[in-house]
Amino acid sequence: MSVEIPKTLEDFPNSSPRFVGRGVDRVEDPHLVTGRTEFIDNVVLPGMLHAAILRSPVAHARITGIDVSEAEKLPGVFAIVTGEDAKRWSFPPPTAPEEWGTHCMATDKVRYVGEPVAAVAAVDRYVAEDAIELIAVDYEPLEVVADPAKAMEPGSPLVIEEKGTNVMLQRVFNWGEVDEAFRDADRVFTEKFRWNRLGANPLETFGVIAQWDPVAGSLTLRASVQSATHFGLGRAAVFGLPSNKVRVIGHPHGGSFGGKGGTRGTDVTALLTRKAGGRPVKWIEDRAEYLTGGGSQSWDRHYEVSLAVKDDGRVTGLDVKLLDDMGATGECFGAINTVKPLAAFTGPYTIPVARYDLTIVATNKLPQSPYRGMGPPPHFCALEQMMDIAARDLEIDPAEMRRKNFIPKDAFPYTIASGNEYDSGDYEAVLDGALELSDYPELRERQARARAEGRCVGIGVVSAIEPGVFDWNAYAIVGVQGIGVPEGATVSIDILGKISIRVGFALEGQGQYTLATQLVADYFNVGFEDITVVPLDTFSAPPAFGPGGSRLGVALTGAVLGACEKLRAKLVRVAAGLFQMDPEQVDLVDGNLVAKGVPGVEMSMPQVVGTMLARSDLLPPDIDPRPEATYVWTAAGRTEADEEGRAKSYLTAAQAVHVVMVEVDPETGLVEILEYCVVDDCGTRLNPATVEGQTEGSIAQGIGAALLEEYVYDDQGQILTSSYMDYLLPTINEVPATKKGIVVTPSPFTPLGAKGCGEGAMHTTPAAILSAINDALVPLGARATEVPASPNRLWNLIRGAKERTAGE
Amino acid sequence: MTTQKKAISLSVNGISYEASIEPRMTLADLLRGELVLTGTHVGCEHGVCGACTVLLDGRAVRACLMLAVQADGASLTTVEGLETDGELHPIQQAFIEEHGLQCGFCTPGFLLTVHELLENSPDPSDDEVRDALGGQICRCTGYQAILRSVRLAATRLRDAQAAASSQGS
Ligand code: FES
Ligand code: FES
Repeated sequence: MSVEIPKTLEDFPNSSPRFVGRGVDRVEDPHLVTGRTEFIDNVVLPGMLHAAILRSPVAHARITGIDVSEAEKLPGVFAIVTGEDAKRWSFPPPTAPEEWGTHCMATDKVRYVGEPVAAVAAVDRYVAEDAIELIAVDYEPLEVVADPAKAMEPGSPLVIEEKGTNVMLQRVFNWGEVDEAFRDADRVFTEKFRWNRLGANPLETFGVIAQWDPVAGSLTLRASVQSATHFGLGRAAVFGLPSNKVRVIGHPHGGSFGGKGGTRGTDVTALLTRKAGGRPVKWIEDRAEYLTGGGSQSWDRHYEVSLAVKDDGRVTGLDVKLLDDMGATGECFGAINTVKPLAAFTGPYTIPVARYDLTIVATNKLPQSPYRGMGPPPHFCALEQMMDIAARDLEIDPAEMRRKNFIPKDAFPYTIASGNEYDSGDYEAVLDGALELSDYPELRERQARARAEGRCVGIGVVSAIEPGVFDWNAYAIVGVQGIGVPEGATVSIDILGKISIRVGFALEGQGQYTLATQLVADYFNVGFEDITVVPLDTFSAPPAFGPGGSRLGVALTGAVLGACEKLRAKLVRVAAGLFQMDPEQVDLVDGNLVAKGVPGVEMSMPQVVGTMLARSDLLPPDIDPRPEATYVWTAAGRTEADEEGRAKSYLTAAQAVHVVMVEVDPETGLVEILEYCVVDDCGTRLNPATVEGQTEGSIAQGIGAALLEEYVYDDQGQILTSSYMDYLLPTINEVPATKKGIVVTPSPFTPLGAKGCGEGAMHTTPAAILSAINDALVPLGARATEVPASPNRLWNLIRGAKERTAGE
Repeated sequence: MTTQKKAISLSVNGISYEASIEPRMTLADLLRGELVLTGTHVGCEHGVCGACTVLLDGRAVRACLMLAVQADGASLTTVEGLETDGELHPIQQAFIEEHGLQCGFCTPGFLLTVHELLENSPDPSDDEVRDALGGQICRCTGYQAILRSVRLAATRLRDAQAAASSQGS
């Protein structure tokens, strides 16, 4: 049955929709503000044990012995597992690139600080922690490689010996005649950039309760997972189980941002429950474990970027060389962070040709994980600095530099050099909006006055793209298989007309249950109180991926509206049968089934539903009497990646312009944000309040990236940032109030025209702040090319520049 | 390593409890594990994030840093104690209306910290609010909506106070 999903609110069978497009209160919140939401650590199962994991204190060493005998004697200890158990009962996990994985506990050697070596299940966490302290491990130190350039040298120690190299992937992608573009350019600019490791840091760490059923040979996992389906399939592969023997029950998460991780810890916990004869075992990652051994770290990048530019400011070519330090394995799929930039390689610009020289290297550090934005944020940070460098040299205002190169609004859908297609946009309108909202000329005057007083004040004007609605094909070049990411929903009406929406993902922070409720309430013209959203486990939910890749808002809208449409068609057929009319003569209008043009012939929805449930003998013979329908939405028109990695991958392209003014204190290197202004276009806003929340939250994370957050390792691969005393998250004192404006160009490709917007300003904020800093530093003759632009980095930079000028 | 248990008694949200616990047990674990008041969340276990904030004799404290035995004889308020007979506290209501939460994991800690602030300073300036909330981490919201929530809550509470006193006079 082909299903027409409403393209606009006008297509709803409701003459006065009340919810979609409005900033309604969230259905999630009453539970959250009263502390009633069932986060995983709240769950207690009968007979449940608690796990603690012993982790490697060194980055690279052979394990020559493990003695668990003392730990075994401790009262309250039920099971201890080591690498031997991992070898016995599990396989290395699926990875990207493929076959760069190791067992969930070190079997022969440890490869990074924080790698699990042994684990204990005991009556409570206190006893489990006592027990791991009684385990004695003998390490024979091996030479450490913690620098990706050194890791590529011949003779470097190998992280995974069997691979024979530390180079996980090395490829050059040429999209068009790049050499020619650089040969024909009037000017060529080249700069190096360094983006240091940082990561998601949801406030809740990962947690899981694993229960092995020794009779059925099956595993049940309750966990704070982002994509239960994906997680379950991965675990089935790890334990060599059929996929229908791994059941995942998702729990609400206290944030995720891609970096919830937890696969290793889950696999260790699963070994423990098996060893404990099937007693349920709970493992709650503590913060130190998260920071040193969890899904915490992403994007450890060394860039060299060149731009080919004409004298009139047109950019004619882009050449990006990236070396990314992936850490010890590919188990957390961190490599997809390096290829997602293909979805928006040239940003909002018409740059016709581009090259990507990509190298991913293994070192003795924690494996990289995804993080909000999944890789483009550092790419845009570098690209936008290059735009500024070119503009400055050409003496073009940075805003005008962007304008000259924007994809014009009548060029959409627009295919970029790296192969993806952008759906829609009006980039000049967004830029104009941002310049007006920020009162850009006035900002420049303020800057001039400040400079005259000897203050270092700078302005960044930056634009970036947020690719929305991810697809697996975007990651084909790092070995990820497949096209299409399904999202399903079931809409079901009970005999009293109350509606349930059944979905396959657990609560996250973005308000998706509210969105589903808004859609169904407006579609069937009922109130919020008439609707319940029911998250289901992987054995009972419709096919689902859940949140990720700025996808769920769009995908869920498609799924829910598809289900509503199917259900409407069913109700119409039933009502038509009861009215003894053709289905074409019957319609759903404002929640009632009415005969078109025959006043008075109508039934309420509960009446029709009641008939379906109680009198299936009256129904057309081929109709399924359940008053419910399921629809599974996938993005249409996605293509297989060609040999250069080009594909129609991400379905939508949201765009933003940020205008930021900062002051750098040359004495301390401290950066203060004086003004922050953002205008963005993410298509139709289905719930403007939650979209605004995504923008504000991602600006804060972008500020953290630009100024504060960094995982520091020493040259022995020892991590120096293992608490929030050292890894600095933005607080309320670092995040300024923002001025916000919007432009709406609905996506022609999505239900209701919404675009992916969950990753949001993370794409733009780091670039904007670095641009503003560099603008501030111009009079000093310094240029910041490393983030975070921490006070010590800027101070050193400024001092170096001063020494240079003094020496001249 | 397990040591002799110690008996303590305390009151939480107006209910008296007695417990026999190991001296090393944290207050957070007592509340969450023994008393099943799981609304108090643990984000860092080292005193930085503020998710575990509860009120001890009216003062905001970090339940991850305190030992449960230190709360012997004290009177505590946790997030579960904010509502009255199913009616949300105005601070809770304000957070909902101003979208002062996303994942909600930090929220109990914020609510109690704001509660303490507004008890002491019913009409705080933004700087005062920033000062009071400087030790609470929220990874989701970027804090702007939290600021708006606090402003709304302060107004509502002042209005309620004014209404109550004008009725009383
Ligand atoms: S959990 Fe207590 S301050 Fe973070
Ligand atoms: S709402 Fe998620 S940490 Fe604050």
